[in-house]
Amino acid sequence: MSHFAILTDVTRCIGCEACVEACQKTNGTGSDVPHRWQPDPNALSSSRWTTLAQTREGRFVRVHCRHCLDPSCVAACPVGAMRRTPEGAVVYDAEICMGCRYCMIACPFRMTRYEWSSAVPKVRKCILCYQKVMSGELEQPACTAACPSKATVFGEREALLAEARRRLAAEPARYIQHIWGEHEVGGTSVLYLSDVSLDEAGWPRTLGDRPRPRLAREVLGTVPWTFAGVAAACYGVHWTLERRRKVAAAEHPPEEDNGGER
Amino acid sequence: MNGANNPRLVLTRAALWLVVGIAAVVAANRFLRGLGATTALTDATPWGLWIGFDVLAGVALAAGGFVIAATVYIFHLDRYHAVVRPAVLTAFLGYVAVVIGLLMDLGRPWNIWRPMFFWQPHSPLFEVAWCVMLYLTVLALEFAPVVFEGLSLERPLRLMRRLTLLLVITGIGLSTLHQSSLGTLFLLARDRLHPLWYSPILPLLFLVSAVALGVMMVTCESLASSWLFRRQPEWPLLDGLTRAAAVVCLLYITLRLGDLAWRHQLGHLFEGSWASALFVLELGISAVVPAFLFLLPAARKSHAAIATGAALGVGGLVLYRADVGGIAHLAAGGRHYVPALTEIVVSAGVVAAMALVFLFFVERFPVWEERPTIPDHFTPPMRDPVSRTFFGGPWFSRAHLGAAGLALGMVLGVALVEADAPSSASGWSRPVPAARTVQIREVKRNPTPGHQLELLTREQVAAGPDGVEAALLVGGGRDGRTVVFPHQAHQQRLGGPASCGHCHHRNLRHDRGTACTACHRDMYAVTDTFAHQTHVAALKGNASCARCHTAGKARTRALALACDDPACHGRDVSTTAVAINRSKLPPGFAPGYRRAMHTLCIGCHTRHEQKTGVTTPYLSRCTTCHRDRTVAPEPGVVALARLEVP
Repeated sequence: MSHFAILTDVTRCIGCEACVEACQKTNGTGSDVPHRWQPDPNALSSSRWTTLAQTREGRFVRVHCRHCLDPSCVAACPVGAMRRTPEGAVVYDAEICMGCRYCMIACPFRMTRYEWSSAVPKVRKCILCYQKVMSGELEQPACTAACPSKATVFGEREALLAEARRRLAAEPARYIQHIWGEHEVGGTSVLYLSDVSLDEAGWPRTLGDRPRPRLAREVLGTVPWTFAGVAAACYGVHWTLERRRKVAAAEHPPEEDNGGER
Repeated sequence: MNGANNPRLVLTRAALWLVVGIAAVVAANRFLRGLGATTALTDATPWGLWIGFDVLAGVALAAGGFVIAATVYIFHLDRYHAVVRPAVLTAFLGYVAVVIGLLMDLGRPWNIWRPMFFWQPHSPLFEVAWCVMLYLTVLALEFAPVVFEGLSLERPLRLMRRLTLLLVITGIGLSTLHQSSLGTLFLLARDRLHPLWYSPILPLLFLVSAVALGVMMVTCESLASSWLFRRQPEWPLLDGLTRAAAVVCLLYITLRLGDLAWRHQLGHLFEGSWASALFVLELGISAVVPAFLFLLPAARKSHAAIATGAALGVGGLVLYRADVGGIAHLAAGGRHYVPALTEIVVSAGVVAAMALVFLFFVERFPVWEERPTIPDHFTPPMRDPVSRTFFGGPWFSRAHLGAAGLALGMVLGVALVEADAPSSASGWSRPVPAARTVQIREVKRNPTPGHQLELLTREQVAAGPDGVEAALLVGGGRDGRTVVFPHQAHQQRLGGPASCGHCHHRNLRHDRGTACTACHRDMYAVTDTFAHQTHVAALKGNASCARCHTAGKARTRALALACDDPACHGRDVSTTAVAINRSKLPPGFAPGYRRAMHTLCIGCHTRHEQKTGVTTPYLSRCTTCHRDRTVAPEPGVVALARLEVP
């Protein structure tokens, strides 16, 4: 099965923001207007699903949804509005969404944005142009198609990983020997190559390789047993004390004894 | 019944109605204008007070219900029987408050029913939703006997009595799950919650703190209602409750500090940051001080000390929930969430409404085993229920006072909403000063190119110089500075008086005045080589527009000063050099955008504009010039662009 992915080579990005413009046009997001919750119109927002961050060294790093292999937002969503498609794109259905914003809390990369100004708000993030690519309207996501320097390319995840390894091997001095997104939080569909550390450009060191949903899944698995255990324990204590009281009442009929009180 | 002549009760009730009134208007505003207009929430902090307080703390405050029910029906500590009913009622109302708070906070509350039918068992919030739903039902059934008793319905009463044990056990099971699952919610927030609060044992911490909160809440309620209804506090009961609260508080302190030590995060406590101060304050008032007060023999005898301890404990544990729910979230860029006044008002309103319902039940149904004291003098009934005759009451009854409170509250609410409430983000809260008319004159000054505007005093205008025109002094930047806005010139250019609506009545949220950039939108063009926003910020807001846009005509990018103007970057930019410092870049690298543009933009503009006929805005796109310089496709990558999908 095919698996959509994007490989971004930070060393090739010239920062022209053609990807941003293409994304906004294709998805009809509207223009960037500063708001109380959006003091910087150039940052990721509900009208800007991808943007460029700049590292201290002056490199440009694309910022958009990572389309995790085990996405926290999907695990968090109580209604199934966030969905991971078989092709790996994490997509969103506003009709189902109840607006709890738990996906925003759960996202380890903080890539989801909200339409705070709207009375009928939606969660906004990159959806890999999923519907348009699937329907054949687009060959590939608008951003990768627009990139003039092929710094960000679309393809199959395995093929892009192979390509990334090929580049790392071909020019070892040019890159840090690491493919961001290969293992982080269990792997993502958006991969990065870079010559500078991306610690402060969307890939904090603290991420680790553990998929986030596992943190809650372990606890949620114990739910039925906890309920059954607590109920059984309660009934057991009740039964024991009740019986002890009855026995005490039978032995000392006139005395009113306060059962299990300490 | 009683209370009609109890001034404490009447005034409390009027005050509660006042808060409800304010909150109702703000709530309506939230549904009309959206969350952004009512809350201080941002993308960096998407959950705030309504989740942290209304939902998380509401559920915890309701914990008294299952704690007391377990004490009485499971552990058979019958002397606590007196507080079962008020505790269950509080729990029920707490959960109703949770649902109201949730409806306020949800962006699309009309979809709230979906978790019932579209199961997502992998979601902690799904578990929470089901627990709220089921436990609300259980609590309603647990409280039903009180209503049946009050209405003298014997048969359903007997049926409910038989179900008591089943309901209590189900309720305890659900509460255990539910209290802990609120902690589970934040297990997914590992990358957001401050390490002092994030812990793998969050579910356990939430459960233990809920038990502590439940016991202290019952203590508070008992004290508050004895004050309100002028009854003697139930001393043996309070004694046991505080003893239990102290034990649970100590357990909670041990768990939290032990967890920090085990995770090697104790160091964060001493870093002296905002977070460490918050942690110390929170743990201090939530558990340390109450446990101390409850264990100190001298303090145990004092009414005030117990009340202080219980109130601090409740407040502190509510703060714990609010911290985990939003306050202790690590905000990107160092921005912290501080709830807006409107948010606080809505939360207070929900609590006040629940308190009113509580008072309603307490007065009309046998909630307390010992009924509130009957007033010592007879009040004639206002209404005869048999003949349905209204006898008339005092001209200003307590109902009048309540209604007056509500009405006053609603007026205040409208005022609050109109005062543009999301006040927690600096800058946007400041009002835009009204524009005022001034007389200006254009003067030509050397060496600065272009025109400058001179503000004229009244005496200067009276002297009658040439070229005087009226303009507006606008303070749209909210920075205390103003900028001259040639109103007439704008009006003429936009098509005379018919064009007023272009700028006025634009209906912008949070912003009564239309910012210059709302019209001069090309300054925000996404592929602008010129970082306009950065320049605006560096030059201090709208006041600086005229620094670069000196032409005195339309202030568009095309008519602005060139980057290399002697007034700006004349010395920094060389118009002849095409690419400087290229040698510093490793071979094969594209130069950074800023570097490229500082060396190239003027060059391109001067060389290519006449030659290629490309218009100015399109020169800002790299590919306008570099059409032939796109990087050659890598083998095996671009070919994959269109994937075969089964």
